[in-house]
Amino acid sequence: MLTAVATTLRRWPIVGRRSELEVFEKALCSGEHTGLVIHGRPGVGKTRLADECRQWAAASGHPTERVVGSRTTALLPLGAVVALLAAGLGGPGRDGQLDTVALFEQTRRALSERHQGRRLVIVADDAALLDAASLALLGYLAAQETIFLIATVRTGEPVPDLLAGVWRDGRMERIDLEDLSRTHLDTLLHLALGGPIEAGAGHEFWEATRGNPLYVHELVLGALGSGALVERSGVWHLEDRLPSTARLLDLVEQRIAGLSPQARSVVELLALCQPLELGYLETVAPAGVLESLEQAGLVTIAVADDEVRLAHPLHGSVVRAAMPRLRARTILLAQADRLAAASSDPGPATLRIALWRLDAGGRLDPAVLMRGAHLARYAHDFRVVRRLTEAIPGDQLDTVGALLLGEALYELGDFEAAERVLARGQQLPGSEPVALRLAVTRAKNAQWGLCQPKAALAINAAARAVITSPPLAEELVADEASVLTFSGYPDQALAVLERIAGGDRRTRVVWAIAGSPALALVGRTAEAIRAAETGFADHIALGDELAIAHPAMHVVNQVFALTEAGQLAEAEQLVRAGADTVASHRVPIAQIFFAANLGRVAILQGRIATARRYYAEAAGLAEANRFAGPRWLALSGLALACATLGDAAAAAQALDERGAGPPFGFREPEGYLADAWTALVSRRPAEAERHLRDAAAQAASTGHRTAESWLLHDLVRISAGDASARLRELAAACDSPLVSARARHAVALLTRDARELAAAADDFEALGAMLLAAEATAGAAEAFSQAGDRRAAAAAQRRSSVLAAICEGAVTPGLLHVAAAVPLSGREREIVLLAAQGMASKDIAERLYLSVRTVDNHLQHAYAKLGVNSRAGLAQALRSGS
Amino acid sequence: MTPEQLALVQSSYQRLGARLPAMASRFYQELFSRDPALRELFTTDMAEQQVRFALKLTEIVQAMPRLDELLAHTRALGARHVGYGVHAADYQTVGAALLGALAAVLGDDFDAPTHEAWTIAYNLMAETMLEGPRRLGP
Repeated sequence: MLTAVATTLRRWPIVGRRSELEVFEKALCSGEHTGLVIHGRPGVGKTRLADECRQWAAASGHPTERVVGSRTTALLPLGAVVALLAAGLGGPGRDGQLDTVALFEQTRRALSERHQGRRLVIVADDAALLDAASLALLGYLAAQETIFLIATVRTGEPVPDLLAGVWRDGRMERIDLEDLSRTHLDTLLHLALGGPIEAGAGHEFWEATRGNPLYVHELVLGALGSGALVERSGVWHLEDRLPSTARLLDLVEQRIAGLSPQARSVVELLALCQPLELGYLETVAPAGVLESLEQAGLVTIAVADDEVRLAHPLHGSVVRAAMPRLRARTILLAQADRLAAASSDPGPATLRIALWRLDAGGRLDPAVLMRGAHLARYAHDFRVVRRLTEAIPGDQLDTVGALLLGEALYELGDFEAAERVLARGQQLPGSEPVALRLAVTRAKNAQWGLCQPKAALAINAAARAVITSPPLAEELVADEASVLTFSGYPDQALAVLERIAGGDRRTRVVWAIAGSPALALVGRTAEAIRAAETGFADHIALGDELAIAHPAMHVVNQVFALTEAGQLAEAEQLVRAGADTVASHRVPIAQIFFAANLGRVAILQGRIATARRYYAEAAGLAEANRFAGPRWLALSGLALACATLGDAAAAAQALDERGAGPPFGFREPEGYLADAWTALVSRRPAEAERHLRDAAAQAASTGHRTAESWLLHDLVRISAGDASARLRELAAACDSPLVSARARHAVALLTRDARELAAAADDFEALGAMLLAAEATAGAAEAFSQAGDRRAAAAAQRRSSVLAAICEGAVTPGLLHVAAAVPLSGREREIVLLAAQGMASKDIAERLYLSVRTVDNHLQHAYAKLGVNSRAGLAQALRSGS
Repeated sequence: MTPEQLALVQSSYQRLGARLPAMASRFYQELFSRDPALRELFTTDMAEQQVRFALKLTEIVQAMPRLDELLAHTRALGARHVGYGVHAADYQTVGAALLGALAAVLGDDFDAPTHEAWTIAYNLMAETMLEGPRRLGP
């Protein structure tokens, strides 16, 4: 009976997939697509469709290749794509870096040459199981149009980021495969069996499989093998019941369990080492075994290259799961030895041998492990970097290995271990560039991981004593400045940066990372913004390198500089644009700073409840990623927001949590705003004042000019004390309109000058600092009233209550006398601000993705809360006097 | 496909008898009313086209019980059709037109079981025709 099937069919038929195949043909030929992603549940036929596409491509003259992700290939970066790699992969350069881009490019050229420019069609089966480096290479080759990628992804599994990006760009087609309809199942059975099937049997197959093609495949071939399905007078009958399992996996297990010992050993060999050459398998398996396996639909033999594989990934995983570990190990080692003896070619074969030995639990050549670690580092896969470098015996780990391992440990949050590994790496002989990166990484770990800025400075100083050649020495100087900036000494950092003349690109990038925030902190905001912009451009041109911060940190710096310059709206816009990118690239430190900066901008804008949410998010991210320093900053912000909302208990709790970690030098003085406002809202005004004075003094001694201005201005806000002289000095020393507005406000409060208070309110409102605008207007109302100008006083009073209403429930001493308007919700606030600028409801609706009706509803609610009845009334209440 | 369905397809086809040319003519009416753009694929005289269609369908229905013979017809036919610019989606339109024409001509004889048998039979024809071009290479 089996032979009857085999003569009718060379292959198991494919049914109901013609439109999908046409999608592929069109995508391949159009030139607009770089690939195709096939989604679907297990057994729906993704692998088969992908192979069918591959055959079509081969028939139309495309070279083709197939890569499969698995537990074994995932052991080594690029393990899944060994077949693509050219021989002679090169090693790391003098600076300890493997030029991965060059490796990818070399691979591209080799492929292009080998196939004379014809596009290679690659099937990546179970793409979600591919290692990050393999995906990066495939993504690169697809983007360069060297290959057309067909990837299969199981429903529910995430599409790997690297593919998702291309897919979102619209350069990859997508197919969602569904199970077969009843009609298609009938056709499939007819073609598979070669004739009609008795109605009851057809019905049973439908009931059992519900059209899942792999299920049908396993069930039909199983039933043929067991003799349950038989042909009599040209019609197929079921003589026996179908196996009563509801699980596909059980079915596959039953089929594998029924194999003869010889057949089973072939299947095991393939499960571990596929694909294998037909010629070789014929020498190890008795005649007829391969044919029977092919007929049973368990293996496929590619006609083009005589490569033998298991028919479906599920077969492989079932066989591997059932195989004793010792047996697997014996097979893997024997195959590795065979391949090593047979091949003189050092390229792909070396990697396959390495993979098999690694899977067998054997020891590997440290050079292979190192190369793998470099590739994983390129793909930011720090877990694999750690596993591979840790597999190198301690006495064979060189400086570069220590650098890779140390950096991975730092990135994974194991700071103590990172310190040990990096310190040991510094003892080993190595090139100067590697020594530099070891020192820089160790200092970074000391500062950001262990929160020991003094230790970081000592590490930097020790390195400067021994590394003296010009560009490297300069980078160390820039790094010293970085430690100084981020441990709270912007003045000193800028003095150190003066010593750098120009430097190479890498030095300029490090310069910008340290210099931009230092400049912003001392109040040179325009220079700070420029430094962040050029730093980012330089960093992108530099590419991804070892021992350097992520490019997103320049964006973080620019946001901070814009905020200090009082450009709150621009800062908010930039941080929003960047936040999605860093979230999708998983750069925790940048994510933390983005969230914290969103909170900081919101506080200054008077969106206090919003600020509270962002700071809470930043604190959570910092906690999860074990960044104690940024956590200190985020919890300070959280306490400040809670206190400003009048929530004394929540503020105290945030401070309490913050107390568990060491203070963070970077922006430390500003952190004490939280202590002051928490004391104030807890009715300890004297303590609040003391906190502000102490922090302002600390800020003054270290050059934190913008922070000092914030601290002193808040002193004025809560106690009506006099700090106006120093605030004016600061306004003169800084180029920030926000700092100037604070000084103007403080002076006007001191002199009780109603017009100047109103002018300061205008300044604040123009910057978008609504809470401060509300307070200044309230002060103006009081001063007008004292001067007897009741009309002006009433107008100012009205304006201050509207301004206060958009501050999301802020409770501050400056708002004490403001007629309590009901606070607006976040959405109402957003809409009111746009409406006050004269924007029509229709335009607001478009901008905020709402319906016009919703916009109008919000506006009506807001009018009621604010006691106005029209847009004109609103604009008048919020008008900018300037 | 069950043996009963096979028999139903053949017996109902037999029953067309002298009405076969009418069914062929009706098929093209149904086809072009469903997708007028398909008209452009036919360059030959439509009367001649109807005769060819009727002959081919008769061959296929007769071959249906023996898969090898059926495949020999449908694959060759499918390979020719790809040259005419026919896509997978068009096969659905053709199937609907064929069933529509059979129903119109056979009337009450085209009952539910006959309808189902033809649905499955057509699917078998279409799938194997679509396999034709792939088998022979693009």
